[in-house]
Amino acid sequence: MMNRAVQLLTGCLFISLLLAGCGEENASSDGKVKLELFSNKAESIETYNKLINEFEEEHSNIDVELYAPPSAETVLRTRLVKEDMPDILSIAGSSLYGELADAGMLRDYSGTEMLEEIQPSYVDMINDLVPGNHDGTYGLPYATNANAVIYNKQLMNDLGLEVPKTWDEFIAALEIAEEEGVTPIYFTLKDAWTGMIPWNAVAGVLQPDNFARKKNNGEASFTEDYPEVTDKMLTLLEYGLNDNFQYGYNDGNNAFANGESLFYFQGNWAIPELKKVNPEIELGTFAMPVTNDPAKNELVSGVDVMLTALKDSEHPKEARQFIEFMMKEENAKQYIEEQYAFSALKGVKQEDEMLSGLQEKIANDEITSFPDHYYPSGMQAPNLIQAFLIEKNSDAFLKKMDREWEKVQKR
Amino acid sequence: MKNRQRAFLLMAMPAVIIFFIFHTYPVLQGIFYSFTNWRGYGEWDFVGFSNYLNVFQDGRALSSYWFTFKFAVVSTILVNIFSLAVALGLNAKIKFRKTLRAIYFLPNILSILIVGFIFNFIFTHFLPEIMGALGIDALAKNILGDPDTAWLGIVIMTVWQATAFNTILYLAGLQTIQDDVYEAAEMDGANAWKKFLKITFPLIAPFFTINMVLAMKNFLMAFDQIVALTNGGPGQATESISLLIYKGGFEGGEFAYQSANAVIYFIIIVVISIFQIRVLQKREVEM
Repeated sequence: MMNRAVQLLTGCLFISLLLAGCGEENASSDGKVKLELFSNKAESIETYNKLINEFEEEHSNIDVELYAPPSAETVLRTRLVKEDMPDILSIAGSSLYGELADAGMLRDYSGTEMLEEIQPSYVDMINDLVPGNHDGTYGLPYATNANAVIYNKQLMNDLGLEVPKTWDEFIAALEIAEEEGVTPIYFTLKDAWTGMIPWNAVAGVLQPDNFARKKNNGEASFTEDYPEVTDKMLTLLEYGLNDNFQYGYNDGNNAFANGESLFYFQGNWAIPELKKVNPEIELGTFAMPVTNDPAKNELVSGVDVMLTALKDSEHPKEARQFIEFMMKEENAKQYIEEQYAFSALKGVKQEDEMLSGLQEKIANDEITSFPDHYYPSGMQAPNLIQAFLIEKNSDAFLKKMDREWEKVQKR
Repeated sequence: MKNRQRAFLLMAMPAVIIFFIFHTYPVLQGIFYSFTNWRGYGEWDFVGFSNYLNVFQDGRALSSYWFTFKFAVVSTILVNIFSLAVALGLNAKIKFRKTLRAIYFLPNILSILIVGFIFNFIFTHFLPEIMGALGIDALAKNILGDPDTAWLGIVIMTVWQATAFNTILYLAGLQTIQDDVYEAAEMDGANAWKKFLKITFPLIAPFFTINMVLAMKNFLMAFDQIVALTNGGPGQATESISLLIYKGGFEGGEFAYQSANAVIYFIIIVVISIFQIRVLQKREVEM
């Protein structure tokens, strides 16, 4: 009898060891150092794999493993719960970064030489995400994106239009397109997040500087500072489809790539998708002219990819080597060329003609950050904004935004 | 005898241990964290009942409760009507009975996410284009893009998918009824409707109870069908409670707050299920 009990117990132990053993592999058998690189972009897997191969050839003792799951931010948050973190993160400069930095999980790069190679506006941008009591720069902005108006060159020429420089010119262009029977803007508002592109473009220029900080101190509010934003959003909505909420992002990519509308509100990240649908299409991009003063019309651009090492990583030296490798000019260039992105590094320029309108603004430092990256993530701004665009009641909506913000901050 | 008891105990222990580790322990953890301000990582403090109080004042949570109940009640009723009807049809003496049973069970085999993408295409492109071609412009739009009708789209897909499983349960129930009961009724001159009302339905009452309780519980926990169709939109019109807990907890970094929501929700589901069983079992008849 006793014997059997022992057998059973060992059986149980074996199973629990087996379960515990999953995911606990730090050093592989061949003595190489294993680095895990966690990326939140499924789009850049191929580019990363190429760069990683090159890196591994140079550093034969390091084995970099790329992990880029779908809904990466959610996966990362669940892994945080399990305290199972990768060595290097490649994530966007968004509120998640602020939370991680605030929780003291990332390396501080303040004062390092690496930081000096990066455009100061982007460094400021990510610094603003970190709450006051943990001031510092906990990541290196690497590639950046831009919130753009993409246009169909062919249609633009057919209509005899030029890239608008002011809000009035922009509206005039929309009018002309409508009169000629061309859909001016293809909205894809069935997917709530796509509404954030025009929203960020408009709010990025119109909102007061440091809105989020002021809002938390009670010096600013949506009700006071955003009415012009909601007005302009509703104006844009009039130049859309019969039903702006019928189609989602993928539908929109197909339709726009097939020439069904003049303008498309998307970021540079949509360009590879559009090219996939229709490789022949000729595209151009510009920053939405939100006011009638061209000098004020800044481009909304954000840190799309930021590289940072975890403070508790067991291989800090190897992690730094990898990040240094990525920051080399030729590698940074390869990354942005393959990803149709822009570089946060000084002097590395995107030379694709399609993106020249945006690159110019970035080179001149006429950029501002994505306003929604500073909204508390718990309030789910995209869904609230989508609901507003359906109901079109500005006053009630702005009050609701204020209320939700305060509610989420209080919890 | 003592030996035998020990053998039973040994056989049951692994299951109990595994159940505790993977089920009970996480539940207790969740309850524990619902009294803190934990974000899922980092430092935390105890906050007492404030998470619970906040849930009751959270308009978003309340409207998601309202949506979930509306959705669950309507879907439960529809699923039971359809599955009982289909089961009666498949129990009758018709040709290709077995093939038809297999076909009607198909929706249950497909993954909800895949079904969701198919229905998404139907609602976005297929139906609006047909309606547009017929000249009915009022219906030529995506019902999932309108906060007033989006929930109907979810109900349609859910009912289509869930009817299959409940049909199987009803079929099993129908097979327990002996033919001689019907023969006796026929001799008394009962018509088909009378036979259904007085014989079939009372005799499958236990299956009716089980189906109602299972369907209601499943639909109260609706998650994947909503992710596939609307992801909670437009606005927050179709945000079910499970989806809210998931989104707020993992995407919004409000782990502890949504744990409180989950505890409340768990209690509500238990109460509803017990209530349903009590009420429905009272009207069951014994053969």
